[in-house]
Amino acid sequence: MADRVERLTNLLALLLETSTPLSLTQIADELVGQYPDKPNARRGAFERDKAALRDIGVPIEQEIVTGTEHAGQTRYWIDRERYELQGLALDPDETRALQVAMAATRPGSASGQEAMWKIGGGVLDSGAAVAAVVPDAAALPALREAVAGGRSVRFGYRDVDRHVDPWGVLLRSGFWYLVGFDHGRGARRTYRIDRIVGDVVAGEPVTVARPADFDPLDAVPDDPKLIGAEGDVTEATVLIDERRSAAVVRELGDDRVVERRTDGSVVVRVPCANLDAFRSWVLGFVDLAEVLGPPDVRADVVAWLEAIG
Amino acid sequence: MSRRGPRGAEDRLRRLLVMLPWLMERGEVPVAEAAAHFGLSEHEVARDLELAAMCGLPPFVDEMIDVFIDDGMIWVGVPRLFTRPLRLNSVEAWELLAAGRAAMQLPGADPDGPLGRGLAKLAAALGEDDTGGVRVDLERPDVADRLATAIDAAERLRIAYWSASRDEVGERTIVPRQLFTDRGEWYVSADDDRSGEVRTFRLDRIESVEGTGEVGVAGAGPLPTPGEWFTDADIPRVTVRLAPSARWIVERYPSDEVGEPDVDGWVEARLPVASRRWFVRTMLRLGPGAQIVEPDDLADEVRAVARDVLGRYRS
Repeated sequence: MADRVERLTNLLALLLETSTPLSLTQIADELVGQYPDKPNARRGAFERDKAALRDIGVPIEQEIVTGTEHAGQTRYWIDRERYELQGLALDPDETRALQVAMAATRPGSASGQEAMWKIGGGVLDSGAAVAAVVPDAAALPALREAVAGGRSVRFGYRDVDRHVDPWGVLLRSGFWYLVGFDHGRGARRTYRIDRIVGDVVAGEPVTVARPADFDPLDAVPDDPKLIGAEGDVTEATVLIDERRSAAVVRELGDDRVVERRTDGSVVVRVPCANLDAFRSWVLGFVDLAEVLGPPDVRADVVAWLEAIG
Repeated sequence: MSRRGPRGAEDRLRRLLVMLPWLMERGEVPVAEAAAHFGLSEHEVARDLELAAMCGLPPFVDEMIDVFIDDGMIWVGVPRLFTRPLRLNSVEAWELLAAGRAAMQLPGADPDGPLGRGLAKLAAALGEDDTGGVRVDLERPDVADRLATAIDAAERLRIAYWSASRDEVGERTIVPRQLFTDRGEWYVSADDDRSGEVRTFRLDRIESVEGTGEVGVAGAGPLPTPGEWFTDADIPRVTVRLAPSARWIVERYPSDEVGEPDVDGWVEARLPVASRRWFVRTMLRLGPGAQIVEPDDLADEVRAVARDVLGRYRS
């Protein structure tokens, strides 16, 4: 019996080169001595090989014969057009640049390494001097394909089955977001992709197309204190102690400074449309920040602290 | 890339299907070079190629994979059968696109350079348009570019840095070695002159940066691996119960274990507490959404600090 890798390679070559689809009997006849003679053992070995090839991404086509003495028989082949990587034509410096990019962003990814070999790159170095940690989420490849292909998707999110026309995905603040039109809600929605439960199933073409000027960059607020903000943004005034004032002005920008006090502290305007995010931001300063107003926001922070103490 | 245990048939075939087209394009390649390129030992390369040389088309006489090894060199005769690699599957396509788009947001990336051009070809081949189906925003602060330049030049910098654990701004000189962003924050790992060790600094806590005009000698101290949290077994632990609204803390910060949600969605989690000051601040932010199960002294401290802050509002 041949080595398994040898048999798999021969089977692959045969299915790629054959001019007509082949039945298992024909395959076994061609690959003399490589498959068992007994029908059950032969079928079992072939099914395992077929699964192994499909597992590594080989598209094996099959058809069921009709109308002849072989009716009901399954025949197999591989379409070279669908098998081969085509149309990329990267120059060597472009391949190298993508390899550096992968090493800087996805150094431990087995699929990333596999992709790199397919486009002609080598082993990914670790320890890039400038790097970004790009997180994973199982749903991302399917969502990207759906966005590019203009297909609507269905998935589970917060215990609800969603039907969404996907417009784009965005990585921001360490999380991947999907933005699209939610048919159940009849409106645009944003989802944290790592919170999608189960598989993403792509289906029919989208019916609510992405607006011409749409950019996920604008659709997901980069300041969590702004998430959920509609129309006029609510703002609070916050007094920041001298010890943190420089850092806060750097974070918010000079135009948000309302008052600079002689003791070095500053009063700043901060969006508080998302009260949870706002409260979390303010309390991060512990006793070095105080909400001055509006009164209801100040009262909310007091109530929050009372609930702890 | 190191590898443990025997390689399975699928793994060997997968590697062969990328190695053969790569070799066929080149014609002749030193075994050592192929081994390094594909993360295999020279023995593994030789064994798999010798096996490939026995493969081909029935009747297995002349339509064979034309490859042989002689004197440390791999030679490919007539390229046939596996002249092109397998297409990218959806996960691999995603990996390339996401990595390229993210790297374009790092300091020094040039849209007209090789990465930009390669990424444009890739996007076209994958059916992406350029209206932003996949976007990456790394929220890069200006100081990141300054630090990247310093890394290139091994420049020694003087920085003013706010230490969260001590709550004070101190001046130190550093030789930056690695710049990275993770979970929305930027960090620089550097040889720190004060401690004589590698220290990692958060960019948003760097109050100022100035050059010293000196070139530093990069130390040999190991750098942290971006994305892996360094938690020490000696660091004290706390057990907390977290409401769904507070669950983000275990997505952002390291935890030893997180239990299953109860009927109300609360989970119990065990966390390392590297800095009590950090922990108390985090508990104020989580408020009623978090309850400290143990130790009691930390719970007391959180309550005391909450009362202190309240004092500000009542005075």
